Amino acid sequence: MLIKARAAIPYSMSIIDLTTTKKPDLALRLKLLAKIGEHKPYNCFQCIRCTSGCPSMKMLELKPHEIVSLASLGFIEELIASGTVWACATCLKCKERCPQAVAPVDLIFALRNLAVEKEAKVPESFLRSLSAILETGFVQKPQDTVTRKMEKVNREKLDLPKFHEPDEKFKAAFFKVLELFQE
Amino acid sequence: MAQKEDETEESRIGVFICHCGLNIAGVLDIKELVEFAKTLPDVIYVKDNRYTCADPGQDEIRKAIKEYKLNRVIVAACSPRLHEPTFRRTVSEAGLNPFLFEMANIREFSSWCHPNTPKEATEKAKDLILMAIAKARLLRPLETMEVPVTNKALVIGGGIAGMNAALDLAEMEFKVYLLEKNESIGGHMAQLDKTFPTLDCSLCIEGPKMVDVGRHPNIEIIAYADLLSVSGYIGNFKVKIRKNPRYVIAENCTGCSECKDVCPIEYPNEWDIGLGVRKSISVPFDQAVPLVYTINKDYCIECYKCVDACGARQAINFDQQPEEIELEVGTIIVAIGYDIYLPYDNPLYGYGKYTNVITSLEFERLILAAGPTGGKVVRASDGQKPHSIAFIQCVGSRDINKYPYCSNFCCMYTLKHVIQLKEKYKEDIEVYVFYMDMRSNFKGYEEFYQRARELGVNFVQGRVSRVFEVPETKNLIIHAEDMALGQPIEVEAEMVVLATAAIPKKGTGEMARILNLTCGADGFFMESHPKLKPIDAPTDGIFLAGACQGPKDIPYSVSQGSGTASRAATVLSKPTWKIEPIIAVVDPDKCRNVTTKCGICAQKCPYGAIKAEEGKPAQVITAMCHGCGTCVAECPADAITQMHFTDAQIFTQIRAALKTNPEDKILAFLCNWCSYAGADLAGTSRFEYPPTIRPIRVMCSGRVDRDFVLEAFRLGAGMVMIGACHLPYDCHYINGNWKMKARMDALTPMLHKLGLSPERFRVEYISAAEGVKFAEVVREMTEQMLALGRDKIKAENEKLRPILEKMLKRKKII
Repeated sequence: MLIKARAAIPYSMSIIDLTTTKKPDLALRLKLLAKIGEHKPYNCFQCIRCTSGCPSMKMLELKPHEIVSLASLGFIEELIASGTVWACATCLKCKERCPQAVAPVDLIFALRNLAVEKEAKVPESFLRSLSAILETGFVQKPQDTVTRKMEKVNREKLDLPKFHEPDEKFKAAFFKVLELFQE
Repeated sequence: MAQKEDETEESRIGVFICHCGLNIAGVLDIKELVEFAKTLPDVIYVKDNRYTCADPGQDEIRKAIKEYKLNRVIVAACSPRLHEPTFRRTVSEAGLNPFLFEMANIREFSSWCHPNTPKEATEKAKDLILMAIAKARLLRPLETMEVPVTNKALVIGGGIAGMNAALDLAEMEFKVYLLEKNESIGGHMAQLDKTFPTLDCSLCIEGPKMVDVGRHPNIEIIAYADLLSVSGYIGNFKVKIRKNPRYVIAENCTGCSECKDVCPIEYPNEWDIGLGVRKSISVPFDQAVPLVYTINKDYCIECYKCVDACGARQAINFDQQPEEIELEVGTIIVAIGYDIYLPYDNPLYGYGKYTNVITSLEFERLILAAGPTGGKVVRASDGQKPHSIAFIQCVGSRDINKYPYCSNFCCMYTLKHVIQLKEKYKEDIEVYVFYMDMRSNFKGYEEFYQRARELGVNFVQGRVSRVFEVPETKNLIIHAEDMALGQPIEVEAEMVVLATAAIPKKGTGEMARILNLTCGADGFFMESHPKLKPIDAPTDGIFLAGACQGPKDIPYSVSQGSGTASRAATVLSKPTWKIEPIIAVVDPDKCRNVTTKCGICAQKCPYGAIKAEEGKPAQVITAMCHGCGTCVAECPADAITQMHFTDAQIFTQIRAALKTNPEDKILAFLCNWCSYAGADLAGTSRFEYPPTIRPIRVMCSGRVDRDFVLEAFRLGAGMVMIGACHLPYDCHYINGNWKMKARMDALTPMLHKLGLSPERFRVEYISAAEGVKFAEVVREMTEQMLALGRDKIKAENEKLRPILEKMLKRKKII
């Protein structure tokens, strides 16, 4: 089956991932590469330094070097579908440390944008953080907590000053940054 | 046994004891040593100096030799590895043969390593002096030999390494014979398209060099010829060569190609790995040097059209016969190169089974503009350009079932191929490289790898498990695991290129036999020393250049070619070559080879310096002997003597060392290059160890005869140790330590059976850098010796003595 499909499109990538039996999507790869400036994934020589320093590594089902490898081979759909890209803490260590100027984090940003474009499911927690930023300026909203006497307390009860909402200028800047990323 | 050395002349021994400032005098009681030396027989003169090696000290030695008519000189001072040459010169200036001098190492071996036990250290120094005097009595004058040098060189192999060697030597005004097996010089480099990492055309840079070689007045190319035999030694090799018939008279052939044009017969061109064809009378490639046509009689139908075409030049002679010539040369440079492994026997990659699976060398001929396809990369199955090509690395290399070594240049030429493809066909071609490690060391190579990645080549890390062919399309399906993904993948490619191992040239073994070289486990020639003599063959006067010693790329081969030229010039530039007199000599009266088929010495000699012909006594080729003494220890009839380290000399040293309280002593045989140097280092580093050890210096641990060990135990030695260079490759005489190991592995169980405690005899491998280890070993052995106790050792020795006496008496040693 696959071989025949291969024969129909002579110049496509001829690689098959045997665990998923998926074939690379070249058009999507080109789109992805266009999103990421100078830090092309095919420069990667798999020293795996990015993975060795990644703070989100435990939460990732695909490790940074695997993301780079899949991207350069053209398995983009898999990456978008995996949900892995949303777990990145964007600490930028991988970009900073890469000896070959590959930036897994840039790839991850690009993949997030692609995911939004393709209307893939964005994890709720990620959306929560986004809305938290818009409401409070923090990644996480201040949370209620319970004392030893099993008393529920919040900032108000503790007489702590109220957070003021971020002003319009911040929001405008925030949306502008998001737009920039989308480009 | 060399005990027959009769003492014809009376020994008159002078002993000079050095204070070395306070280095020796600060610990040892020099006065006591002087008094002790004076009591010894044959000692005529004893003197202590503050610094014996300084001019006044040397003057005293020279004066004393003349005044007291001394004929043996002992200097008790530092290590002979430091000042033996100095004092040898001193005594020879006073008219004494330099080999009548002996040193007692009382600094490194006594004062420096036993600073807190001066009394015992002085006792040890006395023993060392006693041992030196004992040996000195048996010393014989030796003369350094000189052999004449023929100042011509033979270079075997006209590849890039051999050509460079020949050119450099010719430029130094030496006559060079360049022997080439094929019709033309040039080697593998002439087959290549581009060279990495600069991508310049291979033949464009090699061609001019080939022409230079062909034109140089000092170089005589002997192409299309085989090496038959080599005899002789450094400076004086006699070489027999057979020139194979080309059926074309080289002198008359102008290389005009008119004969080729009329020849009707074509056959597969080996030069193109069979991808192209050549005429029955032709040259393998147009730039061939020498440009002489050759008729292949296997294909020729003898239509004689070529004879007509040649006409008045009369260059064609169908009756040509093989011709044997003899040359005399002073040095030989071996540069026979390598072969490419053709993986017919590997069913997994389908070479030879699937038409579109080729080797890298075949690919090289495909992409070469002057190649059989005119530089078009096409598939053999349909003549079409492939749209996807997979390169598989390490085919045969790095595989213990095939060739365990890394073939060195495959990574780089594969990078070259993928870059060429990507630059030529751009997006029109998809390229995969399956690799394990990308080895891109050396200048500009890593950047080359980077360039390949930037061009968008897919590098997949992981060894390919299998290649299948799709029968309809003749495409190939490659199964592999992508290590980066951790997932199995499958690639369909229209062509597969295998980067196969570089293997020893066919005939390397035969060449090794002719030239008396050794091959390593990988089948390539062994160098004399992996670090310090990387281009010297173990046989003096023979040098190794290029890939015959191990796979090498072009720059490395070129530098080795030039390197060997300069090494060869060190010999050729001299009218005579000096040969150290510390060599082995066979006593023809004792040699068993006359009556029985023995030849053990010839087998065991690491240098192949001994000839044992049936019915004749074995003969040592003096100029080839390196003086390790392995044969001396191996000889079952004790018919071989090593000059300056004779059996008698060593036995008398053993006896002197064990004269008093042998149960409290460790007798050690230390090889000059590693263990003795290691012991010296323990001294210079001031590592303190118990003063129980009595070392005897031998050139190589291979010299240590089992009789030495037996004699030591017969005399009641507490412990015996043999110090050697580390296995497997550290021995300075190639493999003397292995020979010693085999010998001692056989002896040890016998001694144990006779009741010797296992810890009392041991073999230690100590390098020149392991002073700590030496001190540690002595400490450990001393502890073991004390733990055993003198009584137990004595009891064991009593039990052993009659048996050992019987064994040694049988050999007439006692």
